[in-house]
Amino acid sequence: MEKGLIAIAAALAVMTGMVTGIGEASVARQAVESIGKNPDAADKIRSMAILGAAISETCAIYGMLVAFLIIFVLGA
Amino acid sequence: MRAVFELQGTVFYIIAVCLAILVFLIILNMKLKKFDPLDEPKGLVLMAMMGVNFIENMLKKDTNKEMTEKLGPYLAFLFIYIFIANISGLFGLTPPTSNYSVTLTLAAITCIMIEYYSIKYNGVKSYVKKLFEPLAPFVVINIISKVGTLLSLSLRLFGNIIAGSILMSVVYQLLARVSALIPVIGKFNFVGVIVCSVLHMYFDLFAGAMQTYLFGTLTVAFISNELPEEAKGK
Repeated sequence: MEKGLIAIAAALAVMTGMVTGIGEASVARQAVESIGKNPDAADKIRSMAILGAAISETCAIYGMLVAFLIIFVLGA
Repeated sequence: MRAVFELQGTVFYIIAVCLAILVFLIILNMKLKKFDPLDEPKGLVLMAMMGVNFIENMLKKDTNKEMTEKLGPYLAFLFIYIFIANISGLFGLTPPTSNYSVTLTLAAITCIMIEYYSIKYNGVKSYVKKLFEPLAPFVVINIISKVGTLLSLSLRLFGNIIAGSILMSVVYQLLARVSALIPVIGKFNFVGVIVCSVLHMYFDLFAGAMQTYLFGTLTVAFISNELPEEAKGK
């Protein structure tokens, strides 16, 4: 019973990934759009897009950290 | 008698990865010594030249000339070490980067470097002043954000690699059950070998290369963020 609740809690924690996926997709969409409009700036746009995607990914990583903590600290 | 300390299995994988890098670099060094500058480069020599060029261009764009010389070797080390550690799953090892101690160490080196260059180029006075911006109570948030950089850098690499290896081992176990249903030759998990080659392609090669590139780019981006505008591009 308790193990099941811990598993549900960990699953809820990694659900941060849902919204992060949408966010990162919008970063990629905007990057592709702006490269289409202005192909000369492709280099700058690429590095900015990677940076933006990486920083917005932090949110999902924190969710994963919490899930790991729940599994290994509470579930052990 | 109880052992005083326990060796983690990862230590042996780290040694294996380091030996592989050592052999690779010795071969590269021999090729470079034999290489005549007037010849057209090809093979390993061309690869090494392209790598050096790539790293120099990346650093020159965001930082200055002095830092390009100093940070170049570190960045090259990051690229070579993380890439070979990430793809070592292809050769049946557990990737060293799926151990949190390894990625935390790498991220800690980067974070100390960020602070070092920030103090060096801004001076101690404005470094301390920056901590208290925009208001004095924000010092707590500023310090937390410094720890956040460390956590996010290390956990990004760790999370990607360990998620890959956990998923792979789950799929291998599942496919071993499936192939056990086939008589005679089923004990050898050949369904797993066929199906997992595609997964290895994605989780080891693609994710490994992507995370290596990200770690390097983020290191440069974070360091160049701390520099004042006038110190860049000289």
